[in-house]
Amino acid sequence: MPKPERRGRRGSRDRTLAALRMESEAALRDQIRRLLSLPMAARTHFLRVRLPGGGSAL
Amino acid sequence: MNAAPLLRRIAAALADCRLEAVLIGNAAAALHGAPVTTLDFDFLFRTSPANIRKLKAFADHLHATILRPYYPVSSLFRVVDDEGGLQVDFMTTIHGVRTFASLRARAQRLELDGAELLVASLDDVIRSKRAAGRPRDRAVLPILEATRAEARTPRPPRKS
Repeated sequence: MPKPERRGRRGSRDRTLAALRMESEAALRDQIRRLLSLPMAARTHFLRVRLPGGGSAL
Repeated sequence: MNAAPLLRRIAAALADCRLEAVLIGNAAAALHGAPVTTLDFDFLFRTSPANIRKLKAFADHLHATILRPYYPVSSLFRVVDDEGGLQVDFMTTIHGVRTFASLRARAQRLELDGAELLVASLDDVIRSKRAAGRPRDRAVLPILEATRAEARTPRPPRKS
Protein backbone atom coordinates (compact mmCIF):
# COMPACT_ATOMS: atom_id res chain seq x y z
CA MET A 1 0.00 0.00 0.00
CA PRO A 2 1.53 3.37 -0.96
CA LYS A 3 2.53 5.63 1.90
CA PRO A 4 0.47 8.81 2.25
CA GLU A 5 2.30 11.90 1.10
CA ARG A 6 4.08 13.66 3.93
CA ARG A 7 3.09 17.19 4.60
CA GLY A 8 4.45 19.97 6.75
CA ARG A 9 8.01 20.89 7.63
CA ARG A 10 9.34 17.30 7.59
CA GLY A 11 7.88 16.60 4.14
CA SER A 12 9.35 19.80 2.80
CA ARG A 13 12.78 18.90 4.19
CA ASP A 14 12.59 15.43 2.59
CA ARG A 15 11.65 16.93 -0.78
CA THR A 16 14.53 19.40 -0.55
CA LEU A 17 17.00 16.63 0.31
CA ALA A 18 15.70 14.42 -2.50
CA ALA A 19 16.07 17.30 -4.94
CA LEU A 20 19.61 17.98 -3.68
CA ARG A 21 20.51 14.34 -4.25
CA MET A 22 19.13 14.50 -7.79
CA GLU A 23 21.10 17.71 -8.45
CA SER A 24 24.25 15.99 -7.28
CA GLU A 25 23.62 12.93 -9.46
CA ALA A 26 22.86 15.13 -12.48
CA ALA A 27 26.09 17.09 -11.91
CA LEU A 28 28.10 13.86 -11.78
CA ARG A 29 26.43 12.61 -14.97
CA ASP A 30 27.22 15.91 -16.74
CA GLN A 31 30.84 15.78 -15.58
CA ILE A 32 31.20 12.22 -16.87
CA ARG A 33 29.59 13.15 -20.20
CA ARG A 34 31.96 16.10 -20.60
CA LEU A 35 34.93 13.82 -19.96
CA LEU A 36 33.61 11.13 -22.30
CA SER A 37 33.24 13.72 -25.06
CA LEU A 38 37.03 14.26 -24.93
CA PRO A 39 39.51 11.94 -26.59
CA MET A 40 41.13 9.52 -24.15
CA ALA A 41 44.51 11.28 -24.35
CA ALA A 42 42.88 14.54 -23.16
CA ARG A 43 41.30 13.10 -20.02
CA THR A 44 44.43 13.77 -18.04
CA HIS A 45 43.50 16.33 -15.36
CA PHE A 46 43.40 13.75 -12.61
CA LEU A 47 46.74 13.99 -10.85
CA ARG A 48 46.98 15.28 -7.29
CA VAL A 49 50.31 16.48 -6.00
CA ARG A 50 51.55 16.06 -2.46
CA LEU A 51 52.00 19.27 -0.53
CA PRO A 52 55.10 19.74 1.64
CA GLY A 53 53.17 20.02 4.91
CA GLY A 54 50.99 17.04 4.12
CA GLY A 55 47.78 16.81 2.14
CA SER A 56 47.45 17.14 -1.60
CA ALA A 57 46.10 19.41 -4.31
CA LEU A 58 45.10 19.07 -7.94
CA MET B 1 47.28 18.88 -12.24
CA ASN B 2 47.53 17.74 -15.82
CA ALA B 3 49.07 14.27 -15.86
CA ALA B 4 49.81 14.36 -19.60
CA PRO B 5 53.51 15.35 -19.36
CA LEU B 6 54.24 12.62 -16.80
CA LEU B 7 52.17 10.07 -18.71
CA ARG B 8 54.14 10.84 -21.88
CA ARG B 9 57.44 10.39 -20.02
CA ILE B 10 56.24 7.12 -18.51
CA ALA B 11 54.97 5.78 -21.82
CA ALA B 12 58.23 6.73 -23.56
CA ALA B 13 60.34 5.14 -20.81
CA LEU B 14 58.30 1.92 -20.89
CA ALA B 15 58.70 1.74 -24.65
CA ASP B 16 62.43 2.49 -24.55
CA CYS B 17 62.99 -0.18 -21.89
CA ARG B 18 60.62 -2.62 -23.60
CA LEU B 19 58.87 -3.10 -20.29
CA GLU B 20 55.36 -4.37 -20.80
CA ALA B 21 52.97 -3.12 -18.13
CA VAL B 22 49.28 -2.23 -17.94
CA LEU B 23 48.08 0.97 -16.28
CA ILE B 24 45.48 0.17 -13.62
CA GLY B 25 43.75 1.96 -10.75
CA ASN B 26 42.31 5.46 -10.67
CA ALA B 27 44.62 6.76 -13.39
CA ALA B 28 43.24 4.14 -15.79
CA ALA B 29 39.69 4.91 -14.65
CA ALA B 30 40.25 8.64 -15.23
CA LEU B 31 41.47 7.98 -18.78
CA HIS B 32 38.22 6.09 -19.33
CA GLY B 33 36.34 9.25 -18.33
CA ALA B 34 35.74 8.73 -14.62
CA PRO B 35 35.98 11.98 -12.59
CA VAL B 36 38.45 10.58 -10.05
CA THR B 37 41.89 11.73 -8.97
CA THR B 38 45.07 10.02 -7.84
CA LEU B 39 48.53 10.76 -6.49
CA ASP B 40 50.33 8.07 -8.43
CA PHE B 41 50.28 5.71 -11.39
CA ASP B 42 49.75 2.01 -10.79
CA PHE B 43 50.86 -0.68 -13.20
CA LEU B 44 50.56 -4.45 -13.32
CA PHE B 45 53.49 -6.30 -14.84
CA ARG B 46 54.97 -9.77 -14.95
CA THR B 47 57.71 -10.50 -12.51
CA SER B 48 60.78 -12.08 -14.07
CA PRO B 49 64.52 -11.41 -13.83
CA ALA B 50 64.39 -9.72 -17.24
CA ASN B 51 61.51 -7.47 -16.19
CA ILE B 52 63.27 -6.50 -12.96
CA ARG B 53 66.27 -5.42 -15.05
CA LYS B 54 63.93 -3.48 -17.32
CA LEU B 55 62.31 -1.88 -14.30
CA LYS B 56 65.71 -0.64 -13.12
CA ALA B 57 66.33 0.76 -16.59
CA PHE B 58 62.89 2.39 -16.48
CA ALA B 59 63.73 4.08 -13.16
CA ASP B 60 67.11 5.25 -14.52
CA HIS B 61 65.39 6.60 -17.60
CA LEU B 62 63.15 8.76 -15.39
CA HIS B 63 66.00 9.70 -13.00
CA ALA B 64 63.99 7.98 -10.29
CA THR B 65 64.74 5.44 -7.60
CA ILE B 66 63.07 2.15 -6.78
CA LEU B 67 61.95 1.87 -3.17
CA ARG B 68 61.72 -1.48 -1.50
CA PRO B 69 58.32 -2.38 -0.06
CA TYR B 70 57.67 -2.57 3.69
CA TYR B 71 56.17 -6.00 3.09
CA PRO B 72 58.42 -7.75 0.53
CA VAL B 73 55.82 -10.46 -0.15
CA SER B 74 53.60 -7.77 -1.67
CA SER B 75 55.98 -7.59 -4.68
CA LEU B 76 55.36 -3.86 -4.90
CA PHE B 77 58.04 -1.84 -6.66
CA ARG B 78 57.67 1.90 -6.11
CA VAL B 79 59.49 4.13 -8.57
CA VAL B 80 59.81 7.60 -7.12
CA ASP B 81 61.24 10.92 -8.22
CA ASP B 82 60.25 13.42 -5.56
CA GLU B 83 61.63 16.41 -7.46
CA GLY B 84 59.61 15.56 -10.54
CA GLY B 85 56.51 14.68 -8.50
CA LEU B 86 56.58 11.17 -9.90
CA GLN B 87 55.38 8.02 -8.17
CA VAL B 88 54.81 4.89 -10.21
CA ASP B 89 53.86 1.66 -8.47
CA PHE B 90 54.46 -1.66 -10.19
CA MET B 91 52.63 -4.72 -8.92
CA THR B 92 52.71 -8.33 -9.96
CA THR B 93 49.36 -9.29 -8.45
CA ILE B 94 46.19 -7.33 -7.84
CA HIS B 95 42.79 -8.26 -6.47
CA GLY B 96 40.17 -9.38 -8.95
CA VAL B 97 42.51 -10.02 -11.88
CA ARG B 98 43.69 -13.59 -12.41
CA THR B 99 46.48 -13.11 -14.93
CA PHE B 100 48.51 -10.38 -16.57
CA ALA B 101 47.69 -11.86 -19.99
CA SER B 102 43.94 -11.55 -19.44
CA LEU B 103 44.28 -7.94 -18.25
CA ARG B 104 46.48 -7.08 -21.24
CA ALA B 105 44.09 -8.76 -23.69
CA ARG B 106 41.23 -6.51 -22.52
CA ALA B 107 43.36 -3.36 -22.18
CA GLN B 108 42.96 -0.34 -24.44
CA ARG B 109 45.94 1.03 -26.31
CA LEU B 110 46.54 4.75 -25.90
CA GLU B 111 49.12 6.43 -28.09
CA LEU B 112 51.07 9.27 -26.51
CA ASP B 113 53.61 10.97 -28.77
CA GLY B 114 54.31 7.76 -30.62
CA ALA B 115 54.63 5.60 -27.50
CA GLU B 116 51.89 3.16 -26.68
CA LEU B 117 50.40 2.92 -23.21
CA LEU B 118 48.26 -0.05 -22.22
CA VAL B 119 45.28 1.05 -20.13
CA ALA B 120 43.26 -1.56 -18.25
CA SER B 121 39.61 -1.73 -19.22
CA LEU B 122 37.15 0.05 -16.95
CA ASP B 123 35.52 -3.34 -16.27
CA ASP B 124 38.83 -4.64 -14.93
CA VAL B 125 39.43 -1.54 -12.79
CA ILE B 126 35.96 -1.91 -11.29
CA ARG B 127 36.44 -5.64 -10.74
CA SER B 128 39.78 -5.03 -9.04
CA LYS B 129 38.50 -2.28 -6.76
CA ARG B 130 35.45 -4.31 -5.80
CA ALA B 131 37.65 -7.29 -4.95
CA ALA B 132 40.16 -5.16 -3.02
CA GLY B 133 37.33 -3.72 -0.96
CA ARG B 134 39.34 -1.07 0.88
CA PRO B 135 37.27 1.95 1.98
CA ARG B 136 38.97 4.13 -0.65
CA ASP B 137 38.17 1.54 -3.34
CA ARG B 138 34.54 1.26 -2.27
CA ALA B 139 34.27 5.07 -2.19
CA VAL B 140 34.95 5.43 -5.92
CA LEU B 141 32.96 2.41 -7.11
CA PRO B 142 29.66 4.30 -7.62
CA ILE B 143 31.53 6.89 -9.74
CA LEU B 144 33.24 4.20 -11.84
CA GLU B 145 29.96 2.35 -12.32
CA ALA B 146 28.19 5.56 -13.33
CA THR B 147 30.99 6.20 -15.85
CA ARG B 148 30.62 2.69 -17.28
CA ALA B 149 26.87 3.17 -17.60
CA GLU B 150 27.33 6.52 -19.38
CA ALA B 151 29.99 5.09 -21.68
CA ARG B 152 27.57 2.34 -22.71
CA THR B 153 24.76 4.81 -23.40
CA PRO B 154 24.61 5.68 -27.10
CA ARG B 155 25.18 9.39 -27.64
CA PRO B 156 24.51 11.50 -30.73
CA PRO B 157 27.64 12.42 -32.70
CA ARG B 158 29.38 15.64 -31.67
CA LYS B 159 28.58 18.77 -33.67
CA SER B 160 31.60 20.24 -35.43
